[in-house]
Amino acid sequence: MSTAIDTLTAACNNAFAQLGQSAEHDRRVVVTSWPSLPVEIVRACELRLVVTRASTRATPAADAHLEAGLFPGRVRQLVDAALGGRLSSVARVVIPRTSDSDYKCFLYLREFVRGGLAAAMAPTALFDLLQSDGPHVRRHNVACTRALLNSLAATSSHHPSDDEVRDEIRVTNVARAAVRRLAALRIGAPRASGTELFPVLAAFWHVPPREYTRLANQVAEDLSDRSPLRGPQVLLAGAPVDGIGLHAAIESRGAVVVDELSAWSSPGTDDDVRCDEDPIAALADAYRRRTIGPRLPIGTMHDRVKRALGHVDAVVISLPEDDATFGWDYPALRDDLTARGLPHAVLRGDAHGDLTPDDGEHIERLVDAATQRRAFHG
Amino acid sequence: MAEKQLGATAAASAFQKDWFAQLRRRVFEQREPYALVQADVPFELFDLLDVPAVSNQWWAAVIAAKQQAGGLLDAMAADGLHDGLCRYCSLGYASMRYGDAASAPWGGLPPPRLLCARLTCDCIHRVFSLWADTCGAEFVEIDHAGAGELQPEWWTLGRRRWRELVEPHRLAFTVAALEALVARLEAISGRRLDYGALRARLDRVNQQEEIFDEVRSLIASAPRCPVRMNEQITNVMATQWVRGSDWALSHARAFRDEVKQRVNAGVAACPGERVRLMWVGAGLWHDTDFYTAFEASHGAVFVWSMYLAFGPDGYIRYGLDDPMAALASRTASFNEYLHNPPWAPDWIAHQATQHRIDAALILRPRSMKPSATGRLFIERALERAGVPVLPIEGDVVDARAWDPDAARATVRSFLDERVGA
Repeated sequence: MSTAIDTLTAACNNAFAQLGQSAEHDRRVVVTSWPSLPVEIVRACELRLVVTRASTRATPAADAHLEAGLFPGRVRQLVDAALGGRLSSVARVVIPRTSDSDYKCFLYLREFVRGGLAAAMAPTALFDLLQSDGPHVRRHNVACTRALLNSLAATSSHHPSDDEVRDEIRVTNVARAAVRRLAALRIGAPRASGTELFPVLAAFWHVPPREYTRLANQVAEDLSDRSPLRGPQVLLAGAPVDGIGLHAAIESRGAVVVDELSAWSSPGTDDDVRCDEDPIAALADAYRRRTIGPRLPIGTMHDRVKRALGHVDAVVISLPEDDATFGWDYPALRDDLTARGLPHAVLRGDAHGDLTPDDGEHIERLVDAATQRRAFHG
Repeated sequence: MAEKQLGATAAASAFQKDWFAQLRRRVFEQREPYALVQADVPFELFDLLDVPAVSNQWWAAVIAAKQQAGGLLDAMAADGLHDGLCRYCSLGYASMRYGDAASAPWGGLPPPRLLCARLTCDCIHRVFSLWADTCGAEFVEIDHAGAGELQPEWWTLGRRRWRELVEPHRLAFTVAALEALVARLEAISGRRLDYGALRARLDRVNQQEEIFDEVRSLIASAPRCPVRMNEQITNVMATQWVRGSDWALSHARAFRDEVKQRVNAGVAACPGERVRLMWVGAGLWHDTDFYTAFEASHGAVFVWSMYLAFGPDGYIRYGLDDPMAALASRTASFNEYLHNPPWAPDWIAHQATQHRIDAALILRPRSMKPSATGRLFIERALERAGVPVLPIEGDVVDARAWDPDAARATVRSFLDERVGA
């Protein structure tokens, strides 16, 4: 296994788990609940971004306050860490307006502080970037992105100039290009499994861009020598994943996950962020249009799905218990898949828990159907 | 179904049925436009621009009350829509998308020209986009900026200090969103919004909500509850959908007068009242008899729901120099006050104290995410205030998993064991 892959995988997996171990380390960390915070701004303020992810780790403190079946695992992990004191030394907790669950997470965190349940928690702010249409939305988004910069600058005592933000955008764009290079290795003749590559792509959010670019390019070099993986190629759609549980379940049955609709790996499909004029406005626009989550307008999501369908043999649609949004897209997606002759499976279990027997059976049937289809179509 | 105790209740029900019949005539015979809207959008703008607005939640409640929801919900499931998706906000959509699956009440919804919704929760954009596609209508979204400054005692600021309650950037954002809505309504109706008329309408809305404030005080202070919660809701909501209109003001006064007469005459909704109950959450529209089911056995009367109480606290806005800003200050936060911390727990506990509540039943609606969140904070606030709480698992429009006998048995045990009724 490549050292670069190990390094990036560890950076993806360990960043959140390591919080609370060293106050010195945590002091420069901004914690968020979904990769929809402009990482360029965090880094321009000389801070580090850590994005919460779901895991199998129990969340007893959070479970006492978060209603069952309504919050994704990542939010439970963040709240549990907050109530357990693991976020007491971080520079900031910034919750984006990515979903209703995230907004409620912000309200709950503030209520814990008001009620004395998490008195030691770092200052918590809302990053209120909206994804709906309208000229007033753009004005609002630019203002709140600038407010984010000012707030983080005050925290870090480093207020970056617009030129510094532009420089950060440029080096991050180079990292995006590295992500795209890796993502391209999944298309057609995949050189690595989704289980292996997803954390490497997702590490984009945790690793400084120059280092990420170097390591990702190293991974691309290493992978280019590999033989293509066999097996039907699968798109992971529905509620965005932030881990590899479903990738592993699908790939252990003989398929390869070559794409997933998730903000974690989305830099692999995103264009560069423009930085020629107002860099703050450019970031606000980019994150508004691109961030995959429940508030991304349905038309944009459909376009993204359609692009992905061109290079897969089958689709797995994850609609876990806490889904309130993506299930609405299912009938139209099913009809589209049927028209294209692409088999699909709907999974209702938690993407991060043990696979339910039903879900396991659905995947097996799907892989069989996709294998036959692939054999038929060549 | 329990008998109606107030003449005003029958009048309110008759008005709604007649209003809907008139709407159908206007749309089908005169080809006039109308709008299907979420309950938290500013109906006043639609009325002033002569685009009648039908509340989505009201229509869903009518379908459920007529026991027509099951077929539609089965049709949704058959089409692959999973059972965790919100049924309350989507039942109206289902009534058009899967119209053959049920018998539509009162002839059914005519095709709207416009749909409008505030993006309260994540599913709204999806549901209304699908609905708009289904009936070939336009969809206008009202997004809202999130609150960063969280004021717990919001009800003490809303009437006169609403500019302090809503942060300036949020107010400006909502004004811009409402102005965009007005532009669409003006294009549809061919009329121009008269800001003087808007000011006058909001002043009349204030008058109406002041009357409801009187009713709320009468109910809170009377020795025994003079009007059942079901009848409170019928009278209040029939009025709220056309708030500030001549009929609304007239009906609000008639309702208040009848309640006052009952209080003065010592008439109680349940003469044997021993326990005063609070219902937290949207109504169980498919089983409204639930709310009178404990009167005979335990003298337990539902005294409070959000429907009456939110009128005065959520709608009154004094200082109408800039009427659009005043209206925006109401629209900027709405459901949040009813469900989430820090707003809902403190308000509901305060209301429980004011109404001398002995116990609270809190709806736990798994498929309605915005209503279901914040529930644990509300439960704890009430218990801290000395009010025992019973969570009720159920859906407001989906009766398929609702066991009325089991639910009633659970409440009776709660009343016996925790309330000592």
